Amino acid sequence: MTLRARLPKSVAAGGAALALLLSLSGCGGGSSAAGDDDGKIHVLVYGDSANKVEKQLIATFNKKSKVKAVLDTIPGADYQAKLQTIINSKQAPDVFFNWGGGSIKPFVDANLLMPLDDFIADDPTLRSKFLPSVFNSAMLEGKSYGVPMRGTQPVLLFHNKKALDEAGVKAPKTWAELLDAVKALKAKGITPIALGGGDQWPTLMWFEYLYDRVAGPGLFPKALDGNTTVWESAESKKALGMIRQLAKAGAFGTNFDSVKFTDKGSPTLLATGKAGFELMGSWEYSTQQDAHPEFAKKDLGYTTFPAVKGGKGNADNLVGNTNNFYSVLKKTEHPEAVADFLKLQYSDEFVKEQLGIGNLPTTTNTPDYFDKAASPEYAKFQFDLVKKAPSFQLSWDQAYPQSAATAMHQAVQQFLNGQLDEGGFIKAMQALPIS
Amino acid sequence: MSTETLLKRERAAPPPASAARRGGRGGPDGRGNRGGGIGVDRPGVGWAVPAAIFFGLFALVPLVLVAVLSFATWNGLSAPEFTGLDNWKKLFDDPVLLKSLWLSVLLTVLGVAVQTPLSILLGVWAAGHQRNRAVLSAIYFVPLLLSVAAVSVLWRAVLDPNFGVPAQAKWLFGDGNLFGHQASAVGVLVFVSTWQFTPLHTLLYQGAARAVPQVLYQAAQIDGAGTVRQFFHITLPQLRNSIITSMILMVVGGLTTFDTVLILTQGGPGTDTTISAYYMYQKAFKSFDYGTASAIGLLLVLVATVISLVMVRLSGYDKMRSTMEGL
Repeated sequence: MTLRARLPKSVAAGGAALALLLSLSGCGGGSSAAGDDDGKIHVLVYGDSANKVEKQLIATFNKKSKVKAVLDTIPGADYQAKLQTIINSKQAPDVFFNWGGGSIKPFVDANLLMPLDDFIADDPTLRSKFLPSVFNSAMLEGKSYGVPMRGTQPVLLFHNKKALDEAGVKAPKTWAELLDAVKALKAKGITPIALGGGDQWPTLMWFEYLYDRVAGPGLFPKALDGNTTVWESAESKKALGMIRQLAKAGAFGTNFDSVKFTDKGSPTLLATGKAGFELMGSWEYSTQQDAHPEFAKKDLGYTTFPAVKGGKGNADNLVGNTNNFYSVLKKTEHPEAVADFLKLQYSDEFVKEQLGIGNLPTTTNTPDYFDKAASPEYAKFQFDLVKKAPSFQLSWDQAYPQSAATAMHQAVQQFLNGQLDEGGFIKAMQALPIS
Repeated sequence: MSTETLLKRERAAPPPASAARRGGRGGPDGRGNRGGGIGVDRPGVGWAVPAAIFFGLFALVPLVLVAVLSFATWNGLSAPEFTGLDNWKKLFDDPVLLKSLWLSVLLTVLGVAVQTPLSILLGVWAAGHQRNRAVLSAIYFVPLLLSVAAVSVLWRAVLDPNFGVPAQAKWLFGDGNLFGHQASAVGVLVFVSTWQFTPLHTLLYQGAARAVPQVLYQAAQIDGAGTVRQFFHITLPQLRNSIITSMILMVVGGLTTFDTVLILTQGGPGTDTTISAYYMYQKAFKSFDYGTASAIGLLLVLVATVISLVMVRLSGYDKMRSTMEGL
């Protein structure tokens, strides 16, 4: 609470204001600019360990292409914020990484992105080489805006085999079995389900799945289109009731709001047998391989989210991050080169390399290379799930525009810990901005 | 120049406060002598130019721009649209904003209330010249060297409910859900800031306590005053200006606390620790609503200014009363 603990307000707000100045005056330096064409295409991606594959692909591309490609990265979690500040400036890339859905909606609304339908008309493989449920989640207003890259990340129910054995329960196939497992684990004195409530988005995963299982995949898109009455529907209330029932049964313990996934808190609970289950994106597997390799090899089990009897949703439906995508800026000077670059995203080389670093591409030729994956069995399990899923719902906080994410996260956290009742939660969801 | 002030300069070094005297008690020309030797005038305006340019460029210009932005809707993509008072109207109907201002003030008040007595006692203790004090002080000042982010990450790990201290001391922490309730989450924030910043203020008080003339203590001893009495009747009154300086630092820092909240609580549970600076960040860099964020920023500037002015007024700091009076 003193001098050094402050956010220099003038700097933060001033940064925004300066960005405003720059965008108005159109000045600002920088090496990479699609605006003033330097004869190259700039590819902007999220900076992390996966970049080595992207670098390699670009090298491959540059061997054959007259127009050279350059890889730019924005490291860290503020990718979206930084992207938003440059995308309408001269530093804008030609092609950029995103999560599809709501993450690109503001750019589509601002008329910055190129629909890819012409590319697809020229070369239909650009669509047919990908699993449809994935490809479609980067469609907005009936047009395609993204080509899948990196991999798919469905949310799965992970468990500690040893802990479940000791409590005498099996991986649950139905909601009733899950409730029984929770009781049995609780009787053993361990937390039935590890939940990184401090991060808020792990809590959201429970809502996404229960809404899907109870109300079917139709409810959420309606809400996203502005039909907010669906939040008051009987199905919505039933799903909320089930979440409440689970929490009341002590499924998450009592201190879940102080636990995080991001600081390895909840994965460690699962690995050490202090918890039986964790609902998490497919990256849980690689997280455990890094942090608890022994456990990942021997005792880490995974299944789909249990079926709900009488619910409208198919038990094969998935939620999660459908994929990452490349989108293209309207003002790119080299559309042909960009189209050629996008076609590399289903090349054999791409699939092999992605599997090698633990990502799971969703191209139709992925199964040919499962042997290249760190865990072929796990890769195959996920791929088959995604392939046969009647519906693959993009994570809510990615499907809604970014401006809704904070309020949504707060609402699910407050509902689960009892600060909000059913009516309060419904109101909060109805108040979310949809554009 | 009155003889009084001349006489004064021959005694112990003047306290820092008397260096920045405004007119009033100075010479007849209204320019106080700055104690730099007789006949030295105040430096010319020219010396202030670099600092003024810097301040204007990096504080005033952005402030004006933010003020302009607060009347506009801007998502960082398309050109800003002027929407008049919309942002402000929205804010005044926003329960989270009022809560955030209240939380900011609460954290600030708690910070001052906890840190001030602690740092005065520690500072006065550290002002002694015994060797063991010097060693202990050096160790104690270590938190000052660490970045706020590092300190926050460290405490987050220490306070982990399943693998940290709370798991070992269940009798004290219960289920360890420190970040799941408003009271305990605020408590953690105050504690971490205290842990990190008390040393800074201790340093201020150490310096100030060492500047208190020994003559006073000798006189008090002759009069038979004990240590406690000496502390309350000599040390504390002599520390008066340092207390005000330190408090102003704490208040400004407290109102703009940001990084501890970002790392420790993310404003949660719900919005229970969403203080104004963090709320501003959320609006700007999470929701891309730069207009509302600018309005919150301006409000924060206003609140901080008002509180600082009130403090300066109430404490008589603006009068710069010498602490040497009565000598």
